[in-house]
Amino acid sequence: MRLNQRQKAKGLLVFAFIFLTAVAISGYFCHDAAMATDFSIKNMPPCLKYPFGTDWLGRNMFYRTLTGLSMSIIIGICAAGVSAVMALLLGISAATLGKKADSVITFLIDMVMGIPHILLLILISYACGKGLKGVIVGVALTHWTSLARLIRAEVLQLKESEYIQIAGKLGHSRLQIAYKHMLPHLLPQFLVGLVLLFPHAILHESSITFLGFGLSTEQPAIGVILSESMKYLIMGKWWLALFPGIMLVLTVVLFDVGGNSLRKIWDPNSVHE
Amino acid sequence: MRRRRRTNLLFTAAVAAIFLMAGSAGVLANGEDNSVVVTMPATSEPQSGFDPAYGWGAGEHVHEPLIQSTLVRTTKELGIENDLATDYSCSEDGLVWTVTIREDVKFTDGEPLTAQDVAFTYNNCRDNSSVNDFTMLKEAVAVDDTTVEFHMNTPYSIWPYTMAIVGIVPEHAYDENYGQNPIGSGRYIMKQWDKGQQVIFEKNPDYYGEEPKMDKVTVLFMEEDAALAAAMAGQVDVAHTAAAYSDQVIDGYELLNVATVDNRGFNLPCTEPEEVDGVIYGNAFTSDVNVRRAINLAIDRQEMIDHVLNGYGTAAYSVCDKMPWYNAAAVTEYNLDEAKKLMEEAGWEEGEDGIREKDGQRAELTLMFSNGDSVRQALAEDSANQLRELGIDVTTEGVGWDTAYDRAQSDALIWGWGAHTPMELYNIYHTIDGSAELSPYANETVDKYMDEALQTSDLEESYELWKKAQWDGSTGTVQEGDIPWIWLCNIDHLYFVRDGLKVADQKIHPHGHGWSIVNNVDEWEWE
Repeated sequence: MRLNQRQKAKGLLVFAFIFLTAVAISGYFCHDAAMATDFSIKNMPPCLKYPFGTDWLGRNMFYRTLTGLSMSIIIGICAAGVSAVMALLLGISAATLGKKADSVITFLIDMVMGIPHILLLILISYACGKGLKGVIVGVALTHWTSLARLIRAEVLQLKESEYIQIAGKLGHSRLQIAYKHMLPHLLPQFLVGLVLLFPHAILHESSITFLGFGLSTEQPAIGVILSESMKYLIMGKWWLALFPGIMLVLTVVLFDVGGNSLRKIWDPNSVHE
Repeated sequence: MRRRRRTNLLFTAAVAAIFLMAGSAGVLANGEDNSVVVTMPATSEPQSGFDPAYGWGAGEHVHEPLIQSTLVRTTKELGIENDLATDYSCSEDGLVWTVTIREDVKFTDGEPLTAQDVAFTYNNCRDNSSVNDFTMLKEAVAVDDTTVEFHMNTPYSIWPYTMAIVGIVPEHAYDENYGQNPIGSGRYIMKQWDKGQQVIFEKNPDYYGEEPKMDKVTVLFMEEDAALAAAMAGQVDVAHTAAAYSDQVIDGYELLNVATVDNRGFNLPCTEPEEVDGVIYGNAFTSDVNVRRAINLAIDRQEMIDHVLNGYGTAAYSVCDKMPWYNAAAVTEYNLDEAKKLMEEAGWEEGEDGIREKDGQRAELTLMFSNGDSVRQALAEDSANQLRELGIDVTTEGVGWDTAYDRAQSDALIWGWGAHTPMELYNIYHTIDGSAELSPYANETVDKYMDEALQTSDLEESYELWKKAQWDGSTGTVQEGDIPWIWLCNIDHLYFVRDGLKVADQKIHPHGHGWSIVNNVDEWEWE
């Protein structure tokens, strides 16, 4: 059976969605098991009972990895959601509220983009007292820029289109136009952008946690797992880093695949592929 | 692997061949006769330089300052013996210490060391030390070239333990940059300091004491995993390591474990909770003395040592095990049944989920540990597992030191202590403004013994009083007393030592896995 591009994209999207939901939900339910320590089974290499092995506290790395990913996904969704909404609001207001608002917002975008991402993340997370709150606020406040810029450009283009001009001439207020005529047009762009923000958010969450500015060390976060495993790599305990690392990459790739599939399905340019 | 004297060309060639076979890394570490390369944790590097006023030797981690000499020093049994001093005595009221010093001592720049320098050093520490307490010292006065008097604000019988860690600096060569280019009269001269990497010491040829056997000491600062890699590559002679790495076998190295008083334990707030300035002091659950006693009984220390430290540790029952001022009444054998009985008596009945309850309150405790310290984390986790057997729900949490001190006022925190001075008992148990500083606790009798201990003029006599502060037969800080802190274990300091290096007998190490090992590096030898 030969599938066309759209069918393939749909298949991939469904697969990514199911996989990620399964990880998120199962991770949520094995949170307690991931925290449990049992010193009688410490440092076990992977086996049937412990597919990802155990660490130096005798914690089941399979549960820890699942929980870590699920936390990452949830943090990613929160942070990317907030970030995307910010991007949407700022993007639209930049384009509709006139020259002054536009220059202020463009300046903001340039400024945030000009500072290295990870640096800004660390600063914000640290200022918010680290932990879950710090990470979410940090990721949310740093990831909106590129999407905001995209939406602004889109809106600027829309503004010149005839139906918007006509709506204006007919006496609709700017807000009404933005809500009624622009938003529906922007929605696909926005949703794809949102999904494509997840992998960034997840990777950044793990990196600042890895660097010690994120979640605290008893949490089964993927960054914590990876930074702990560094200490034991030299002793040949490869499983501590390998499986969680692969799972993190897999998750990120699946989000990316999901986002791209979504774009293919919604984008009118690729309807006939 | 000492290099022999050249006899003829053939021999040299043979030696060269052996060196080649032994691998280039080995040659690197032992390029010269009588040198040794030692690793230490990166945190051991003195941030403010090698200046006693800013914590060198006399800081959070006490050790002999090597570059400078001290008035007295601690013996292997942690008594006191003379170093620079020839004699010292204390007045009846404990307010004046008189110390006479040797005449023949010179700084490495050739100037003689006089009582002036001693007085200057102590007055400087009193004014500037930010890490060690010198508030008991009013003034140090040089009476003549070899006699110095310490005038105290309050009697301080354990002053000799302070004299054992403060390195004497030269008044004529002291300025704000002293810590970067220290001049002293000690066994070693600091030759080179590459910040963040290494310090190189060479022996002081004019040292007044026994000549150091080791000519050159290189200290590398690195983390445990890097130290292990360096040992595996044969680049270092002594590599510090942790229990987690202790089962690694490295060719040409042997594991050395040194007994310590480097203990770990956790505090249990002894008062009912109350809020002052946004910080909560006290904990309703642990304010019950029976709960604290039950917790102490329910800790299986040997199991913990086997689990967490691979067996490299000893059970700890106080902050000062094995010290001359330790009271053996602190020993508490593991007894879970007894512990359960105590909880029942105190009214904590087992609930449906196995967790005890009393008047609708669950037996819950938060046990914190400092983020990134894997040993403390493991101890916290194991304590939690053991206390669950008793029916206490313990949640572990990693915290940073920025918030840990405030939070320890109301929750348990894993601490590390252990020093060569009884002052540690005072810092932990004595009250300041009605409550102990680190964790809410107050006992007038305990305070009184410690105050008396500081006021005696005789060191031996003070040991007895320090012991009484721990347990005098009716009250104290041990199991039958108030038990405000639970002590878990003393962590052996572990090192991979290259075969052939004879590391001299070590004193019981204090807290801090760094400089203590090289306290007597001058007595080390290659075989």
